[in-house]
Amino acid sequence: MLQKTITVVIDQNGNSSVDLEGFAGQGCDKVLKDFQGDDRAGVQRKKAAFYSKTGDSRDQYLKSGQ
Amino acid sequence: MSAYGEFETIMQEERFLVEGLTAMGYKVEVQAAGAALVGYHGDERTETAHVIIRRAQLDSASNDIGFVRGADGHFRAILSEYDRSIGYNEQWLGKVHQHYKESQTMAAAKSKGYIFRRKEVIQTSNGPQIQLQFVAR
Repeated sequence: MLQKTITVVIDQNGNSSVDLEGFAGQGCDKVLKDFQGDDRAGVQRKKAAFYSKTGDSRDQYLKSGQ
Repeated sequence: MSAYGEFETIMQEERFLVEGLTAMGYKVEVQAAGAALVGYHGDERTETAHVIIRRAQLDSASNDIGFVRGADGHFRAILSEYDRSIGYNEQWLGKVHQHYKESQTMAAAKSKGYIFRRKEVIQTSNGPQIQLQFVAR
């Protein structure tokens, strides 16, 4: 099983970026929220693996429909 | 890879501000009701603050540096023109925010059950960046 890692980089002005690896689906949003704290959110984007769970479900649905 | 987010640090929690300043080597005075800042002549100034670095820890001609909690709950720094000119400027405030965010991140991760893996300080052309890595249970 792929390890779920969170990398937080805090720059010289104290602003941060949070990079998630090994997470899929809506769990990402919760983890980002955990590390956001009281901070103001800027750029946020989902990466390829986020969509993998959705893709799996669709594959399963198509298979079961055969 | 699954998600990426960027956040602007807002200093709202006194304990992380105190921890951050302490990590930078300052002895900090916390005044719940606020206290007057002292100028370089030893005179009490009109400005008050809730978190104070007394001038004895700064330059011989420095004034106290204060952090006052505003109506919005955010801390803002009170820095004299002289102190800004000798290095207690925006760059220094950036370091304060950086240490604040490190303390806040460590506390948030612990309270939410994430496991701390490692810390690295990466030197960049803009200054040092702190990299913290955690794993989810």
